Amino acid sequence: MKIDKKEKAVVVIGSGPGGAQVAYQLTKQGIPVVLLEAGRRIMKEEYVNEEWPAFSQMAWLDKRTMTGNSRIVKDFNGLPTWLVKAVGGTATHWAGATPRFLDYEWKTKSTYGSIDGATLMDWPIDGKEMKPYYVKAENAIGSTHRGGRPPLPANNNYKVFAEGAKRNGYKFYATGPYGTNAAPYDGRPASIQDGFNFQGDKSGAKWNPNVSEIPKALATGKLELRTNSQAVQITTDSSGKADGVLYMDTKTKALHRQEAKVICVAGNSIETPRLFLMSASSRFPNGLANSSDQVGRNYMRHLTGSVYATFDKPVNFFRGETMAGFLADEVKHNPKRGFAGGYYLETLALGPSFLGAFLDPGKWGKKFADMMDGYQNMAGMWIVGEDMPQANNRITLGSAKDAFGLPAPNVHFDDHPNDTAMRNHAYEKGEAIYKAVGAKQTYRVTPYPHTHNLGSMRMSAKAKDGVVDKHGRCHDVKNLFVSDGSVMTTGAACNPTLTITALAIRQGEYLADQLKKGNV
Amino acid sequence: MKITRRELLISAGSLLAYSQLGSLANAEVNIAAQPGDQEMIASMCKALYPHDRFPMNIYMDIAAGAIKKGNADTGAKISFRAGLDGLKINKFDKMNFKKQTKYLKSIENTPFFGLVRGHTVVALYDHKEVHKIFGYEGASFDRGGYKDGEYNDLSWLPEPRIEEHPDLTAFLDDSSPKKYASLKIKKTF
Repeated sequence: MKIDKKEKAVVVIGSGPGGAQVAYQLTKQGIPVVLLEAGRRIMKEEYVNEEWPAFSQMAWLDKRTMTGNSRIVKDFNGLPTWLVKAVGGTATHWAGATPRFLDYEWKTKSTYGSIDGATLMDWPIDGKEMKPYYVKAENAIGSTHRGGRPPLPANNNYKVFAEGAKRNGYKFYATGPYGTNAAPYDGRPASIQDGFNFQGDKSGAKWNPNVSEIPKALATGKLELRTNSQAVQITTDSSGKADGVLYMDTKTKALHRQEAKVICVAGNSIETPRLFLMSASSRFPNGLANSSDQVGRNYMRHLTGSVYATFDKPVNFFRGETMAGFLADEVKHNPKRGFAGGYYLETLALGPSFLGAFLDPGKWGKKFADMMDGYQNMAGMWIVGEDMPQANNRITLGSAKDAFGLPAPNVHFDDHPNDTAMRNHAYEKGEAIYKAVGAKQTYRVTPYPHTHNLGSMRMSAKAKDGVVDKHGRCHDVKNLFVSDGSVMTTGAACNPTLTITALAIRQGEYLADQLKKGNV
Repeated sequence: MKITRRELLISAGSLLAYSQLGSLANAEVNIAAQPGDQEMIASMCKALYPHDRFPMNIYMDIAAGAIKKGNADTGAKISFRAGLDGLKINKFDKMNFKKQTKYLKSIENTPFFGLVRGHTVVALYDHKEVHKIFGYEGASFDRGGYKDGEYNDLSWLPEPRIEEHPDLTAFLDDSSPKKYASLKIKKTF
């Protein structure tokens, strides 16, 4: 449908897992929505099954600067994260793991206690409240191993991982849960084991909003999807309520304005706070909805890291799904290990193109070449664990300008000692898995730009402690919501997309109800 | 290995710029235009990432790309020219591998080294012939994906369980904040 720019509309900014889900929940209930997406719509037929061309096709490459002591700041300055500028957002590129938060991961301050340098805080919601939304989110995505859906089969990379895990006494390994269909589901086909989940997935077996919530929302007749439309400022009226969005046509660079009665922002943990900071005004001199000074702070990215190993015999780990192995044994908080929180190990295959760039950034010489030379006999896994929120790991407006003359975001990231301790533990356990099945050489791969970015608009019970309340509604501006992973108070060990989806379903239902009651 | 900030910026920049290689402005080629220059850069690419299995024509392709980048702007031209001169004066291509490595270590902090290394690591492992030599088969969508007996053909380990362990649900559900708060963190940092 077409919505007039002068009409005070419900405006959602960003069409990733958070924004697309909220837009779908609202349009499903008959509420018209304008969905602004900075990128274009890439149909699945257009996805390219080659690593660098696909990167060029969809990655968010607008100017960004980085500071901090984390190695990624040196290795990949200018590319803090691997996000997508297209309809479907970064879910276009996600691998697909769908674990849930554990109950205590909603309450880390109460559980872990005080940790020097960390700004742990309890979420204002808990596992019990979120449980039904997790079920809805798993059904929306089509998580394997859940809701009676079958597991993905074992691919070669998983065979090495699972046997190594077994020989180390681990129990909780499986080929999921993943958001890639093992059997046809929700109008999408079963996996044909063609991999390239990071490049969009041409078959449509992998869930992402571009093949699910977006077409469903369009089918309601209540959605206007405006692509190449990048929000640059949220304006407020004399009462301090949000009343419009200024957005730019990224092709013509023309500036437009959409009148709004409710705004949901889902631009991810970098672009969402950037937009709020760019929306500073005389009424909100420190940035919109930022009386707490928490906008942009407590940015998290999960600790991450990878372990690769080469063997005597071929593995051909690139065949089949990119990620299809999951191990939960190390997820539980166990302070005896010397750190708070826990982590998952997940199989992950890269092509030689990406592996060369990420195996050991900056390295050269015979040892590196020998490792690459073992490509056919290689197996690999990714580490995903809870990283500590820190007040100064934050998004600010830097002095550099992007191609549109707007202040580029600066991403500051220091590793916390807890992150480093956990990563080292995970490296050891990952190597032990591969050594148990005869690894010749193992390789610890440091974090590279990836999709996980959390926090920076944290959820809090009290207005002074965070930006949004338990529904993602800004404490300071009552008709302004945040609908993406930036609301995460703390990040838990699990991959974030399922939780973002669950929170967005919950927010969408709440907002639809509030709109019907005239409370917004 | 000490890495300068500038060199790293070049490295990250080469990653970002790699895909735009084809669209670089056609700058006037005035460096690395002498006979033997491309071979010289190729010998450096090979010393950086030595693979006996790769024929020299692959490294020549990579050298061509590096030279193109060296001609992209005035700053790159200046540093590239100086770096190439260094290789020539020292007869880098005639050195044995050990001496080549030592020489490369000595120029590791130069912008020239950063440009050639940053380009090579990305372009080399993205080269179609390299993929073939590595046994990387890449895209399979057009032929209907990897088949049963292909994606799972590893036979030197037993067939694994793919379902979750029956105790997993209980393991994950046993996560009450109260219970886990009673564990004390052993401060090791």
